[in-house]
Amino acid sequence: MNFTNLEIQAEDLPKVEELVLKPISKSYLKIIALNKLAIYAALIGLVFGFWYFIEKEDNIQFNLWYVLSAVLVLCILNFIISVLAFKKRAYAIREHDVVYAKGLIVHSVTTVPISRIQHVEESRSWLARYFGLATLKIFTAGEAGSDLSIQGLPHLEAKQIKEVISSEINGNN
Amino acid sequence: METTDFSQPIRQSAKGIIVIFVFNLFKFFKKFLVFFIAFGIQVIRKKSFGGVTPTMMYLGLIAMLVFLLIFAILKYLNFKFHLSKDDFHLATGIINKDNTIIPKSKIQNVYIKQNFLQQLINVVSLKIETAGDKKSEIEISALDKPTALLLKKRLFNKISVESEEVEQIETVEKQNIFFRVTPKRLLLEGLSQNHFKSFLLIVTFGYGIYNESKDFLEALELEKHVEGIVNLDETDLFNLIITNVILVIAVVLFSFLFSVAKTFIINFNLEVVENQKTIEINKGLFNKVSLSLTPSRIQNLVITTNRVKQYFGLYSMSVKQAMVNAKQQKNFKIVALEKDQLNYLTNKLLSDYNREGETGKPQPYFVLISALGMLFFIVLANALALFLFGIDMLWINVIYLPFAMFYVYFEYKKSYYIISNNFATLGSGVIDTTTNILETHKIQAIKLKQTIFQKRRGIASVVISTASKSVTIPYVSKSEALSIYNFLLYKVESQDKDWM
Repeated sequence: MNFTNLEIQAEDLPKVEELVLKPISKSYLKIIALNKLAIYAALIGLVFGFWYFIEKEDNIQFNLWYVLSAVLVLCILNFIISVLAFKKRAYAIREHDVVYAKGLIVHSVTTVPISRIQHVEESRSWLARYFGLATLKIFTAGEAGSDLSIQGLPHLEAKQIKEVISSEINGNN
Repeated sequence: METTDFSQPIRQSAKGIIVIFVFNLFKFFKKFLVFFIAFGIQVIRKKSFGGVTPTMMYLGLIAMLVFLLIFAILKYLNFKFHLSKDDFHLATGIINKDNTIIPKSKIQNVYIKQNFLQQLINVVSLKIETAGDKKSEIEISALDKPTALLLKKRLFNKISVESEEVEQIETVEKQNIFFRVTPKRLLLEGLSQNHFKSFLLIVTFGYGIYNESKDFLEALELEKHVEGIVNLDETDLFNLIITNVILVIAVVLFSFLFSVAKTFIINFNLEVVENQKTIEINKGLFNKVSLSLTPSRIQNLVITTNRVKQYFGLYSMSVKQAMVNAKQQKNFKIVALEKDQLNYLTNKLLSDYNREGETGKPQPYFVLISALGMLFFIVLANALALFLFGIDMLWINVIYLPFAMFYVYFEYKKSYYIISNNFATLGSGVIDTTTNILETHKIQAIKLKQTIFQKRRGIASVVISTASKSVTIPYVSKSEALSIYNFLLYKVESQDKDWM
């Protein structure tokens, strides 16, 4: 099924699938890894803490090694998925819109037309500052579902994109 | 009609004191009710508590009331508003003086409301909403109706009205009551609602009350009595079934009544007034509301009906607007419309609405997902039944299975989409039939979604977001999804139309 009964041929429209998306900065993987490792460490610490408290009571069966290995396997799986999903994070700025793709298990490609952007924000956590990265947040008038947040851009590039979009928005007004 | 001069700072109607007083009293008691009761009982019982005698307590209460009254009067005296050429000015505050200025062009909505008390003393409250955070709302709680209407009109008039000629043209402006609901249709509307929701609500409510009062019942030794009935011989099993059936029927009847009452209270005297540019909705029994719809601000239209309603010709329309808070959003619903009224209204709100273009259906994958969801539900329900009532309860599947099949069948049957030149129309629903309409130039963002399982099958979903709602075209083929994606983007970006 296509839109043959409309005045524009669907084939002539600019195609999002032919767009070459640019991957985000490789160093962002380090941030993801560090964040994840912190979470895993906390989880494992929690298991040990739980074990420490429960050990004294005889009536509760708690096999530390089973639970620990289960948690470890989950963590490793989660880590592998995060690393694979990292490769899916990519973006592109077109003349009229911003495209951002992400996700391994649920892959999504979101496009926000520049004319619909309300404001742009560039934010940096201290880790991101250390690696010279930035997060670009794009806000539309819609519900939370239509806002974009592109993480792990090189700082300079984030700044440039922000400038471009800002001038574009102000130019339209 | 005596025209009010808004150019000089004026106060609201003197009845405002009553409104403010009662409102504050209510708020006060809501906060401290538990404390008061606990304290009061202590004092009355023991004659004195911490050196407080009942007389002192009553005096304190009276002092409190007097204080609230004085507070209300002061608040009233210090509440002044006026209109200048382009702005609305409001001065408030007894000790801390606040001066608020709202440019007329930034006003998003003006509501006129009337709660029960305001109905009694015959005043209305006027609420001014601006874009932005929720605190930027302004409420004038007591105005007589003509003044409120005039003020509303003035607020919407961006060019200040000075000459009387313009004034007269305004009053001549065509006001056409387009639709007024009859009690009979409201009754039908209430009866034909989807009762599952109210049924569930009542069952959970009843169960909650039962659980709460369990201890109480035990104390009354009712439990024994009830157990005595339950544990009678098998001949009484029949009686038990009858009792249960009666109980279920009672709950069903009650939920019917609940739905009808709710429909009546919310939509009492529902009226749709057609102005030149805007549409006005008036409704409510205890809480009268009057709302205006501006076509340019409308983002989505949601039309719902169901089999029974279709038979009676009852359609509801919800209008989703941008920059309206969630609580108000609910009020923008017109129920019990007839088919041609619905069509007329749709065309008024969305000019040249059409459903041209091919009707697309989701891929059969939709059925698979829906069936899996149902399967999950049935397994869960069975596990619960087994756990609670033992193996005998498995007969319940006789009801579940056909229900699940119908559910999946209707869900697939009612799901469709039409992408025409300026509109996207989406159908969905199981028991209800829901039609979602949006104008393509109001789209804020588009998202293509594909899970790892859908990738192999070449299936994807498209999520279309406007400023007030996101709708999904579920499980179409990837190529189709991409062509919808590209087409809608093209539509948004090639036209230089504003979304609001």
